[in-house]
Amino acid sequence: MAHEEWLERAEIFGLGALDGDERSQFEAHLAGCRVCEGHLRETRETLAVFARSLAPVVPPQQVKARLLHQINPEVAPSIREGTRSRWFPWGISAGAFAAAGLLMTMTWSLYTTRQQLQRLQKEVASIQTGSILHETSIQFLSDPHARSAHLKGLAPSPDAMGHLLWNPETGKGVLITMGLPKNTPDKVYELWAIAGDEPVPAGTFSVEDKPHTLLKIPSLPQGKSFDKFAVTLEPAGGVPKPTGPMHLLGSL
Amino acid sequence: MSAQTINPATYLIQQVAQQDREAFSQLYDRFSNLVFTLAMRMLRVRSDAEDLLQEVFVQVWRQAENYSAERGSPEAWIINIARSRAIDKIRSIRRMEKSFVLTDDPARAESGENVESSAAESEARLAMNSALANLPEAQRKVLELAYFDGLTQSEIAERLAEPLGTVKTRMRSGIQRLREIVSSRAA
Repeated sequence: MAHEEWLERAEIFGLGALDGDERSQFEAHLAGCRVCEGHLRETRETLAVFARSLAPVVPPQQVKARLLHQINPEVAPSIREGTRSRWFPWGISAGAFAAAGLLMTMTWSLYTTRQQLQRLQKEVASIQTGSILHETSIQFLSDPHARSAHLKGLAPSPDAMGHLLWNPETGKGVLITMGLPKNTPDKVYELWAIAGDEPVPAGTFSVEDKPHTLLKIPSLPQGKSFDKFAVTLEPAGGVPKPTGPMHLLGSL
Repeated sequence: MSAQTINPATYLIQQVAQQDREAFSQLYDRFSNLVFTLAMRMLRVRSDAEDLLQEVFVQVWRQAENYSAERGSPEAWIINIARSRAIDKIRSIRRMEKSFVLTDDPARAESGENVESSAAESEARLAMNSALANLPEAQRKVLELAYFDGLTQSEIAERLAEPLGTVKTRMRSGIQRLREIVSSRAA
């Protein structure tokens, strides 16, 4: 091959568009060719014009705070993370204590009005859900075989997120979601466990008014190497194969 | 002894290689807008762009000692890290979405919060846009599909229903033309 052709491949490689055998052949050639290395460098400098042509967008301050914390854990993040703050079980623990407090309050509230009682009952129900979530999550967090995945919100629900704990040996797990929009009665969210490109149904759930939703994952088929999980919005009752928009996606 | 001129950003990277956190903070301030802007354009989801920005600078922190000015400008080095990571994410999502209903690109796109930049930055950006505007539309199209959308030459050929050879020619011609424009402006 004439060297001119390697230089042409260097340009497409610099663009990130070289594929197939051409890419592997060029990478092998590049390892020992200073001329192509220089041409690749010059190509990348030229192509930077695309990045520099964009109207600038300023990142939020908390990214820098998170970053500085990551490279130097002794420095606490100076700015609290907002909607993207990580779920942490200690918060749930506090909720459990609050539940106990509320139950005591209810004991002393026998003589209060019916309206007050109903309001407190609602609060207790909410906190009891938190306690269940706590117990279930602790069970998986303390399981040495359990693995976790952070599910990110995609285009239909960019601010949503999910945390999944799953034991590959038992095939059981739990999914906690936050920020998913409330589904209509004719729809349901469906979790998918994915092995390679094959999605397997892993349970359905609805999102109501609560900020968190908990799904206990039933036993998934043995022998499959699930490494990704996704949540889609499907017709009520669920479907055997995904048909609706994907709201959450993450890898183990 | 002769005075040695050194690019300020190169100096910062050298300091970062010595685990200098203050230099790292300055380097972030210098390039974070560029990386985040590029990430928003490529990934189109703000949370993904924020994650990418963080990942890029963690890599910069860990690999600063591997940087050499002979291998390119700091800007091109950081952009290359950002693009490589963004393309990996795009291709991963694309592989996943083949099993699902494809998300329409316009719906996926999130609008970024553009900011007023300095007069010098605005002028530089206008010059870059002017350079791109001088490219024939067909050449600019294939370059943008590769640069921003992470498509390979074969994928672009398939999407545009054009022969692979035509796509390659347009890419190479576009890069050559862009190189000439950029060089003439720098001269």
